[in-house]
Amino acid sequence: MAEFLELESQDGVRMPWNVIPGTKQESSNCVVPVSAIYSPIRPLPNITLLPYSPLRCRTCRSVLNPFAIVDFAAKIWICPFCFQRNHFPPNYASISDDNLPAELFPHYTTIEYSQDNQIGQSPPQPPLVFLFVIDSCLIEEEMGFLKSSLSQAFDLLPDNSLVGLITFGTLVHVHELGFAQIPKTYVFRGNKDISKEQLLEHMSFFAKKPKPPGVIAGARDGLSADSISRFLLPKADCEFAFNSVLEELQKDPWGVPTDQRATRCTSTALSIAASLLGACVPGSGARIMAFIGGPSTEGSGAIVSKNLSEPIRSHKDLDKDSAPLYHKAVKFYEGLSKQLVHQGHVLDLFACALDQVGVAELKIAVERTGGLVVLAESFGHPVFKDSLRRIFQAGDYDLGLSSSGIFEINCSKDIKVQGIIGPCASLEKKGPLCSDTVIGQGNTTAWKMCGLDKATSLCLIFEVVKKESPDATIQSTSNQFYFQFLTYYQHYSGQMRLRVTTLSRRWVAGPGSIQDLVAGFDQEAAAVVMARQVSFKMETEAEFDPIRWLDKALIHLCSRFGDYQKESPSSFSLSPRLSIFPQFMFNLRRSQFVQVFNNSPDETAYFRMILNRENVANSVVMIQPSLISFSFHSGPEPALLDVASIAADRILLLDSYFTMVIFHGATIAQWRKAGYHNQPEHQAFAYLLQAPRDEADSIIKERFPVPRLVICDQHGSQARFLLAKLNPSATYNSDGPLPGGDVIFTDDVSFEVFLDHLQRLAVQ
Amino acid sequence: MASYLPPGAPRPASNANNPPSSQPPPNFRANPNSLADNLHNLNFNSAAPRAPSPLPGTPFPRQATQPVSPFPPTFSHPAPFASRPSPSVVPPPGARPPPFVSSASAGLASNGQPVFASGALPGGQWFPPPGSAPPTMAMAMARAPPQPQPPNTTSRPLMGSSLIRAPPVQPASPFAAAPQARQPPTTGYPYGQPTWPLQPGQGAPPPPITGSPQPPRMFGMPPPLPNQSMTSVSPAVGQIGAPVAGASKIDPNQIPRPIPGSSVILHETRQGNQANPPPPATSDYIVRDTGNCSPRYMRCTINQIPCTDDLLTTSGMQLALMVQPLAIPHPSEETVQVVDFGESGPVRCSRCKGYINPFMKFIDQGRRFICNFCGFTDETPREYHCNLGPDGRRRDADERPELCRGTVEFVASREYMVRDPMPAVYFFLIDVSMNAIQIGATAAACGAINQVIADLPEGPRTMVGIATFDSTIHFYNLKRALQQPLMLVVPDVQDVYTPLQTDVVVQLSECRQHLELLLESIPTMFLENRTAESAFGAATKAAFMAMKGTGGRLLVFQSVLPSIGIGALSAREAEGRTHLSAGEKEAHKLLQSADETLKAMAIEFAEYQVCVDVFITTQTYVDIASIAVIPRTTGGQVYYYYPFSAVSDPAKLYNDLRWNVTRPQGFEAVMRVRCSQGIQVLEYDGNFCKRMPTDVDLPGIDCDKTIMVTLKHDDKLKDGSECAFQCALLYTTVNGQRRIRVTTLSLPCTSILSNLFRSADLDTQFACFLKQAASEIPSRPLLLVKDRMTNLCINILLSYRKFCATVTSSGQLILPEALKLLPLYTLALIKSKGLRTDGRIDERSFWINYLSSISTPLAIPFVHPRMVAIHDLNSKEGDQSLIPPVISLSTEHVNDGGIYLLENGEDCLIYIGNSVDSDILRQLFCISSVDEIPAQFVLQQYDNPLSKKLNDLVNEIRRQRCSYLRLKLCKKGDPSV
Repeated sequence: MAEFLELESQDGVRMPWNVIPGTKQESSNCVVPVSAIYSPIRPLPNITLLPYSPLRCRTCRSVLNPFAIVDFAAKIWICPFCFQRNHFPPNYASISDDNLPAELFPHYTTIEYSQDNQIGQSPPQPPLVFLFVIDSCLIEEEMGFLKSSLSQAFDLLPDNSLVGLITFGTLVHVHELGFAQIPKTYVFRGNKDISKEQLLEHMSFFAKKPKPPGVIAGARDGLSADSISRFLLPKADCEFAFNSVLEELQKDPWGVPTDQRATRCTSTALSIAASLLGACVPGSGARIMAFIGGPSTEGSGAIVSKNLSEPIRSHKDLDKDSAPLYHKAVKFYEGLSKQLVHQGHVLDLFACALDQVGVAELKIAVERTGGLVVLAESFGHPVFKDSLRRIFQAGDYDLGLSSSGIFEINCSKDIKVQGIIGPCASLEKKGPLCSDTVIGQGNTTAWKMCGLDKATSLCLIFEVVKKESPDATIQSTSNQFYFQFLTYYQHYSGQMRLRVTTLSRRWVAGPGSIQDLVAGFDQEAAAVVMARQVSFKMETEAEFDPIRWLDKALIHLCSRFGDYQKESPSSFSLSPRLSIFPQFMFNLRRSQFVQVFNNSPDETAYFRMILNRENVANSVVMIQPSLISFSFHSGPEPALLDVASIAADRILLLDSYFTMVIFHGATIAQWRKAGYHNQPEHQAFAYLLQAPRDEADSIIKERFPVPRLVICDQHGSQARFLLAKLNPSATYNSDGPLPGGDVIFTDDVSFEVFLDHLQRLAVQ
Repeated sequence: MASYLPPGAPRPASNANNPPSSQPPPNFRANPNSLADNLHNLNFNSAAPRAPSPLPGTPFPRQATQPVSPFPPTFSHPAPFASRPSPSVVPPPGARPPPFVSSASAGLASNGQPVFASGALPGGQWFPPPGSAPPTMAMAMARAPPQPQPPNTTSRPLMGSSLIRAPPVQPASPFAAAPQARQPPTTGYPYGQPTWPLQPGQGAPPPPITGSPQPPRMFGMPPPLPNQSMTSVSPAVGQIGAPVAGASKIDPNQIPRPIPGSSVILHETRQGNQANPPPPATSDYIVRDTGNCSPRYMRCTINQIPCTDDLLTTSGMQLALMVQPLAIPHPSEETVQVVDFGESGPVRCSRCKGYINPFMKFIDQGRRFICNFCGFTDETPREYHCNLGPDGRRRDADERPELCRGTVEFVASREYMVRDPMPAVYFFLIDVSMNAIQIGATAAACGAINQVIADLPEGPRTMVGIATFDSTIHFYNLKRALQQPLMLVVPDVQDVYTPLQTDVVVQLSECRQHLELLLESIPTMFLENRTAESAFGAATKAAFMAMKGTGGRLLVFQSVLPSIGIGALSAREAEGRTHLSAGEKEAHKLLQSADETLKAMAIEFAEYQVCVDVFITTQTYVDIASIAVIPRTTGGQVYYYYPFSAVSDPAKLYNDLRWNVTRPQGFEAVMRVRCSQGIQVLEYDGNFCKRMPTDVDLPGIDCDKTIMVTLKHDDKLKDGSECAFQCALLYTTVNGQRRIRVTTLSLPCTSILSNLFRSADLDTQFACFLKQAASEIPSRPLLLVKDRMTNLCINILLSYRKFCATVTSSGQLILPEALKLLPLYTLALIKSKGLRTDGRIDERSFWINYLSSISTPLAIPFVHPRMVAIHDLNSKEGDQSLIPPVISLSTEHVNDGGIYLLENGEDCLIYIGNSVDSDILRQLFCISSVDEIPAQFVLQQYDNPLSKKLNDLVNEIRRQRCSYLRLKLCKKGDPSV
């Protein structure tokens, strides 16, 4: 396991198969696809920034890397991807065996280039643009929470950033922050779609001169800086205006009958925001930050009618296709996502309401643009407040928000790319590398990542196309596959950078390769790939049975890689490389990603969006929560994710990524209630109580979105957050109570039963 | 053109319709012959509607003579002026020869009538040289009939140019020598006068306050010769029958002219249980309501109702009512009494729903009453029962206003309300497009509004809103909770909406500071505005949506042609010009509304009780014809400031706005006129919306608005009976009370034609003409309209001559006394802006719109303006009246050394002669010579008595007209407006 982590810290890559099944047949037998979880701008300890442009292969445009074969005498390098012989340019003249450029250092498989530093002076950094889109259909209390969070957030904005403000309810208000005399807003109808051209005309961008022909895009194409600065102003210039608008922002004044939902035109507001940015700052990094406090009921993206008697769509409605507005809304947001991707802008979503707000519909726009998403039940909830602060916070835990990313891929010719499951959008750059089978954003070798941050992780899925050939094993010298990942992006410092990661992986084929494959199997990465894949399939494939699919995959994998005698379940054993994979699958089957019926479509969409952007370690926590036990008897120690871990004298800390639960055993809870920890003689108890808090805090600090912290006692109502995640080894059907005294009221099978079945089926 | 020809010189045959010659024309382009032709044709039963063009040389006399022979003397013998003061023309009572003599001499000097002279007159030697203008049209017209003489040569617009273009050669003597001669004849002369008695001023009319409420003319006194002409204007000495005949020598001073009475008339509406014919609408009178309504509220074109339709048709007169339900009474009149019937509401006829009035006849000891409209016998409501007195009247009749007054106001009960009475909502909508800003219109509008806020009714019921617009619409949230007003821009002008449900229209008390702040900052806020487009239609609609819930007054300040958004208009004036040159066929279409959407909007506005007034402050064409549809349909009105001047117009704008919001007015009104059996309403005409055939909807109604109600017979009326008319206006007062104003007029029926002529009401008849002309102009070619107007006049006169006059010389024009001014007015109408093609389209549109709601007293001066001399104000010491004597509209009365003020209730022109004493100029205008006349004039009061008098005079006129007047200075030779 450790070596995988090491590889990750070198390149930001985790692959389920670090030894690659070398043929098409083999790879399909391996169940888990050949794939990689890649974090394009993960901070790496040993990364070097080169202040010059990369050297590229003449034919395949791949970048010079340590795997290239260099002929120092001839000043030639051979591209490992296409075997093209390339001459070094004159500035590489002094190259020699012991005078290598950094990009050829063997351990610099991942390296960054920044052309900006070439001449020593960087061009003026394009300012970051933040366009706030605020829902005004909120009750006063929520409005108050939101206002205070926003004004705090405003203070944290970088000084050179540009700020714009749109509020919406029944109508959309675009605030002209640059209008000095009195507060001024443009008001648009909520139920009417409006194109970018109409918007330009309506906002009188061309009042002072005739409209230039063709596409309008920013200052370069005829839009005066004056016009832009009416709506997007440097933070310092609009601080007063922004705050006064915010201060006077009132609940949407259009009356709402008691049997109706508020008229909330979320989609129109977002569309106008996108068009405004598209008109003013196309191509440079800008974020639309949408703060939404309820379901969208107006415009093309409405998710539910205004009539309260009609409930908001549930998973069941979606399955039965009885959510009349769903497809229309999704289609609308798909269009919006295309527009945003084209413009290079990000949509961040802060959905804070007890009701669903339409995250499921919005998902596509957020995910394609690489936006952030936070779901909380109130604007006053710490999940929202702390998350918002985290976004703008500088320091160790900043998110490293970067923008305008383009991700490209090169790989050896026997490998093709099926697609990426993750926060990116296809640029539709087709090439010989593209596989016919498409998963996620496929059919391309380049992707747009409008917004990306340190955590952003893409799941690339490959296809091995090498045919079975007898001489394949003979040529053992060339049994390497090469992958090169190129990420151009605007670093949050404003610099344009290119990160190049070049990987080499050995492939094996034929009999006897199983051991090699097992040795290179990264079960965590595999579990995450499976999770992303199953989520994707659930969303896209009709009539898809995820449990069956997962079970089949697991059985198939176990019967291929397990040690057993046929028809003898008791003889079954798995290599340590595979041993916890069944447990991951067991928990994945029970997770919110697969068992959606407990959640609203919004929640599911939210969980999946986070899953699709997080790295392996965090994703594993989402699939299989971690449980730490605290007690007087021992220090903090991992506990089994099992109901048996509950004990009266223990405190358990469950981390399921989205929720952290601090669970006090019955005795501890009694003591706590009695207030012993406040008495000096029971300081030890106070420490014990505090320890899980500290642990939780340290986890929360690093995480975005900020998880929800639940502190509960055994047998309390909030304890369900823990119990839902535990293996039901003791249920109300069990014979006798466990020492911990807790049972789970479920008919779900326990892990033991699951394993039994697995062994039986695997050996068949 | 024609006037530049020497008299008697050969004229181009095509004279009638030809385009202006290359010489500077005196603003006359209409067909000058049509009037004469038609007169001629009518008189002589010729079928041809238009006579062939006159022959060169002797156009008119020849024509006239052709059919009728006894005219030759006319040509051969110039009338001897000396014979004029013949006994028959001398006014019998206190006749004063001097005026006559002097007038004759004035006539002698100036009487060189080129027209009349024609080629046939040998004595050309005493004609003025070519170019010297003869008396104005008005006189020519009056003189025309005896020998159908088209007044073409002299025709001039009444407004302005006739004065400006004073003849270069002015006989200096008459004015100076005989100032008395110019004293206008007074009102008083008895019917007996066969000819025009020029009775000098002060003497004749019995002082009205002496207790005789009978104004001395036109009514009351039976004419000595029942069927004889009331007035006949004969050629010169006419009746003497002497062959002198001098048809061409009609003394212009003999022409009947309006003579404003300087004293107040007392008028009782009924006397001896008989309807009393009302005094002229233009006179100053005090009414005592004794059963019939005051003529201010309602007056009929004829004060006796013809029993049959045939009789009416024979008379050639129109039967119509002018209803001005909220007219302002004279300060000395008793106010309209309010009657509260409580929950049950006013007593009404159960069949026709007519309201209780003094003419309902109670019978059966008061237990039942007979409706004077439908004749139905109703049960008297128990609580309303009262015994009858010996005279058959209810004993309480004199205590109950509804039983003894022609006008009462009932408090409306619940059943008259579909909702609570609406608040007083005022929404101001201001054009801030580039042009509006640059010409200063926006600033003027904001300034005016800012001042007017103080005049709005106090209290929580007064709500205001404000919005501005260019190519987008800007609303303002005026809620007090906000630190500053918030501007809300509605950019979509194709599909508008209101940006806020509340807070756009706010209680005045809540937003006064915000409003003031905002109005001050709007002009600067948009100072740099470069948006030339103006979304009038969309803005109006958006504002309407903001006030839809309540209704109210929407005051729009518009400065350019609406060019974008809903109801955008095109600059069709330019297209119109090409049409015009192409043959004038479609010219009148420019006066029609171009856009159906505006019409539809207007109807929607009216439905939601939004009344729109449009203040057009512009220097360009804005297509009033299209815009005006909205105010016309919603009971509003158009104000027009062209060319807008940031110097002189803001004061008028403010005053107009102030009057608009402060004048007595009502909201959400419905009006219906009921008539006695036999008569029914044919049509309503005015500024309103009509959704039901019987009622008119008036989102706004004010004291200035008049509605013409034309009537028709559907049955015979009984001779000797009375026919009643009742106008019921249900409205909400500014204070939020729902009221029904009921105005009842009962007039006797007659089957005698001469009674009709005797009781004809000239002012009402003419107002009726005007409104008909105004409504016809947009829909038919101008020539037809002119012909129609002329024919209307001729038909009446012909009928009178045919059926009522004793046989007289056919060369004599015989005028019914009551209608003796009709020809003069008709001529004035034909020469007015709306009936000429040389004016700007917008001005004509405005003229048409102005007339559509104009009241009777204002209608006449609007086409026949009043002129007074102001250079000698000081010399009229001791004169009671602030207004100096009126001067006839004739160039011969305009002196080069004088300054004259001409006003028509809307515009006011001050003409400064060429040789005015510079001292007077300095005193009045603070300029030393005529050349320093400012283009944009603001009347100021300087520290001298003359200036003070002028200011007093102007203020008095303003008061009379309820209008601030657009003042303009001009001097001789200025291009006419």
